[in-house]
Amino acid sequence: MSRFACLELNTTDPAWNLAAEQYVFDCLPRDKSYLMLWQNDNAIIVGKFQNTAAEIDADFVEKNGIRVVRRLSGGGAVYHDLGNLNYTIITDAAASESVNLRIFCEPVVRTLWRFGVEAEIDGRNDILVDGRKFSGNAQYRKNGRVMHHGTLLFDSDLEMIQRALRVNAEKIRSKGIASVRSRVTNMKPYLPAGTTLADFKAALLEEAAEGKDTEILCLTDADRQAIDALRQERYALREWNYGASPSCTLLKRGRIEGCGSLEIYLTAEKDRITDLKILGDFFAEKDPKILESALKGCRPEKNDCRKALESAGIRTEEIICGLRAEAFLSLVCQ
Amino acid sequence: MEHLEYQFSRSHEWVKEEDGLTIVGISDFAQNALGDVVFVNLPEVGDEVIAGEAFGDVESVKAVSDLVSPVTGTVAEVNEELLDSPELLNSDPYGSWIIKVENVTDTEDLLSAAAYEEYCETEA
Repeated sequence: MSRFACLELNTTDPAWNLAAEQYVFDCLPRDKSYLMLWQNDNAIIVGKFQNTAAEIDADFVEKNGIRVVRRLSGGGAVYHDLGNLNYTIITDAAASESVNLRIFCEPVVRTLWRFGVEAEIDGRNDILVDGRKFSGNAQYRKNGRVMHHGTLLFDSDLEMIQRALRVNAEKIRSKGIASVRSRVTNMKPYLPAGTTLADFKAALLEEAAEGKDTEILCLTDADRQAIDALRQERYALREWNYGASPSCTLLKRGRIEGCGSLEIYLTAEKDRITDLKILGDFFAEKDPKILESALKGCRPEKNDCRKALESAGIRTEEIICGLRAEAFLSLVCQ
Repeated sequence: MEHLEYQFSRSHEWVKEEDGLTIVGISDFAQNALGDVVFVNLPEVGDEVIAGEAFGDVESVKAVSDLVSPVTGTVAEVNEELLDSPELLNSDPYGSWIIKVENVTDTEDLLSAAAYEEYCETEA
C-alpha cells in the first residue's frame, strides 16, 4: 500500500495555498498519496475556465480587499473565509477512476457520522446535510494522477458568501463555465454544541488516514522556496487569475441620475474588453461609439478604463449628457 | 473491428493521417471516462506541440484533464466548433477532431485499433 502523507498549510494566503497544492501534485514523490488541509481568508476562488470578470463584483471585491485566485480544477466560483476548511487529496487516478468522487468524499461523510450527523453525497460534486450543500468538490487530472479538492463550510459567514458571489450583470453569452448557485449551509449548527473546527479537523484526519500507512509531512525550506516561486509566477498574477478568461458577454443595466437608464453590453476575453455597446434613453451630444472604442482593449476594471478615457482626452459628459465618468465606470466594471 | 484508420496513444488520443496532416482527437474510451465535456481549451494555430506533453485541456462534469499530444509538430488547424459545442467530443468522438498538426518530426509509440482495444480492457 502506498504511504499516505498528511500536510497542514499554515498560511491563509490563497495564492500561496493554491501554489502549494500544485507543487505537491507536480513535484512531490508519486509513490505516495497526499491529504492537505488548508484555509484561505477572504478570497474568491474561480474555476479554471471561468471568465473572472463575469463571476465577481469588482467594486465589492476591491472595497472588501477580497483576493481573487484561479484554481486548476473546474467548476464555479466559491468564497472562502476562516470558517471554511479546504481539503485536497492527491493520488493515482487509475485506482480511483471507477469509483470517482465518492471515494474522496467518504472520509468527510464518515467524519460527520462520528458527530451524529447524516450527510449525503450528491450525484455531482456536492456533499449535503439536510438537503443543503456544505461541501463543493472538483478534480484536476494529469499524467495518471488526480487532485481532488473540496470546501467544507464549518461556520463561514453565509451572508458574505451570498454577497461576494452576487454579480449584478446578466450573462448574455459565455464560452466559459458559469457558476451555479446552491443553497448552502454550515456544518456547525448540526454538530454537538461546542464542537470546534479543530475537533472536526482532527476527526477528519483520523477518518481519512484509517487503515493507511500514514505519515505527517512537513514542508522543507526548499519546498517553500519552490512554492513561493510558483506563487509569484502564477497564482499571484493578474494574468493567471483574470487573464486566462474565456470570452463572455455581459449586460449591465443601471440608472444614472441626470443622465438616464443605460444598458451596456460588454464582451471580455482574456481580461480585455473586446466589444462594448452602450444603449439607453439618454441624450447623446456626440456618438457614443467614441466611448465604446476608447474602452476596447482595456481591462474590464475601473482604473484601466479611467486611464484610457483620460489619455484619449475624453470627457464622458461631453458625449452623453449627464454621464458622470465615475458612475459610468462603476456601471461598466460592476 | 471499428476505426481501423485510427491509431491510438496510451493517454487515449486518436491519430489519423489525412492530406499530409496529422489529425488528433480523443477516443470513445476517453470521452466515456471524462463524462460530459463542458469546455475545451485549445491551442492556437502556429503553436508547437510536443509528443507526450499537454496541448490543451478539457473540463468535464468530473474533472479538468490534460489533452496530450501524440506527435511533435506545429498546429495547422484547430476545431473551433468545439468552443461552442464541447459536447461533440461525447456524441461523436471519432468525428470530432481537435487539432490538425503539420511538420510532424516525432510520434509517440502508437497502438493499432486492435491493440488499443486490448489496452482499454486492462485499464477499465
